[in-house]
Amino acid sequence: MPRNDPTDTGGLFIGRRPGTGPVRYRKPPDRGGARRRRTDALLAAAVLAAELLVVLSMFGPQPIAWLWVGSQVDYRTDSVFLGIIVAFLGLLASMILTLMLATRLDNLWRLLRRAAGHDQREGMLGRIFATAAIVAAIAFTVWLVLLEGPAPSVAPR
Amino acid sequence: MKRFREYYRQFEEMPPEEVSLELRARREEEKRRALSRVDPLDLSGAAWHEPPHPEAVNAATFALRRALNAYPDPSGTPIREALAERHGIALDEVVLGHGAGELLRAACAALLRGGGDALVGWPGWQPLPELIEDAGGRAVPVAPTAAEMLAHAGAASRAVLLSSPADPTGAVVARGTLRELCAGVPEEVTVVVDEALGEFDPEGEDAAGLVAELPNLLVVRSFSKAHAMAGLRAGAALGPPGLVARLAPSGGIGAPAQAAALWAVSDRGLEIAARRRAAAAAAHERLAAALAGSPLSALPATVPFAWISSDAEDGPAIAARLAAQQVFVAPGRLWGDERHVRAALREPTAIDRLAGALLGGPG
Repeated sequence: MPRNDPTDTGGLFIGRRPGTGPVRYRKPPDRGGARRRRTDALLAAAVLAAELLVVLSMFGPQPIAWLWVGSQVDYRTDSVFLGIIVAFLGLLASMILTLMLATRLDNLWRLLRRAAGHDQREGMLGRIFATAAIVAAIAFTVWLVLLEGPAPSVAPR
Repeated sequence: MKRFREYYRQFEEMPPEEVSLELRARREEEKRRALSRVDPLDLSGAAWHEPPHPEAVNAATFALRRALNAYPDPSGTPIREALAERHGIALDEVVLGHGAGELLRAACAALLRGGGDALVGWPGWQPLPELIEDAGGRAVPVAPTAAEMLAHAGAASRAVLLSSPADPTGAVVARGTLRELCAGVPEEVTVVVDEALGEFDPEGEDAAGLVAELPNLLVVRSFSKAHAMAGLRAGAALGPPGLVARLAPSGGIGAPAQAAALWAVSDRGLEIAARRRAAAAAAHERLAAALAGSPLSALPATVPFAWISSDAEDGPAIAARLAAQQVFVAPGRLWGDERHVRAALREPTAIDRLAGALLGGPG
């Protein structure tokens, strides 16, 4: 069913469903040739992969890195509180910077996809973030419950 | 590098705020155009501008849905009884027909069968001369006064045809004039009054009330104007029984027309017609007030149209000026008059627009 089919809305909206309008350019874009479009498609795939890695870094490498930094602070200053504060604020700052970077990559990916000839209306960031969060939550639960959590205390050694 | 960036920037979409601004500007432009568009105003007709009263439509609709497979009552007795009682005449002095036009055609055919002259009060209902010629007679246009008519009535005259109130002037032939005329014309001449606009007559000035008194008077009335039933084609002829019997269509008029006409001759129907007469009189007053002090003027009348002239320009110039403002009127040349135009008087907004268009030019 087309995205702008009025029956898709159950008759709630006359005409197009809100937010499903075509992409409005300031002027009709002047696309490159087939070769350039293929190159843009490859670049888009590379940018998407980078975006995926950047987002994944928020669910593992970054928290681990900041826990290490926090532990170092704790070790050098002999202050657990300061270690926790540094780890927490550092993680928060890096998360924000990562999201800013991911958003820019997502915008770039959309432009490349459009340049490659696709009617790309939305980005992938939301979907990547949600998928990564679910996968990370499952992985963390498995690690916590089965590998490193209560398992050693309940399981026979 | 700049070209490289520019290439990809052209794929950036417009932000929603910018799109909204563009759409809003387009909508404003559409609204401005809609407000500046002027719809044509057709004031060239003489029929009542509103639909019939809903009760008349109900009556006609009921008749339509009842027994359209059956022939209607050919005599139309209930309507004729009501008309006879209203005008103080006998039942056989009233017949129904398919509108005043058809009854006038039949009257011309009956009165001018062997040729002869028919004096026509002019200006009057525009098709009258043609009806006379079609019947084999000769139309002689004469000013609608008793003196002029009697002066022109000769041995070849067979009929005198008058419109009262006259279309397009709205002038009413007074009862005194009719009495004088009927008494003065030769014995073989019948005076025919087209009273299609009779409901717009001033109180007590209708010719129908003289039928019982004047044996050579034939009055033709219509349900098209004050009863707003032009589409149903219903009218009545009142006059000498021997003559009116020859005017009635075989089989009578249609059942829906009879049903609506029966409602029209009821007290309620007459009350509605009286309201339309009052509305037409008020419309004349409104137009006269708007034109006061200008070279333009309309003949005082109580009919739903005005006969307008100007001291500053002729009829075609007035009509052309109105047409340029999308207001269309009937040119006076249809009646052989180059000084006037006829404009239907509708609701107050239409009258104001007519007055504004009239006063908008050299007027």
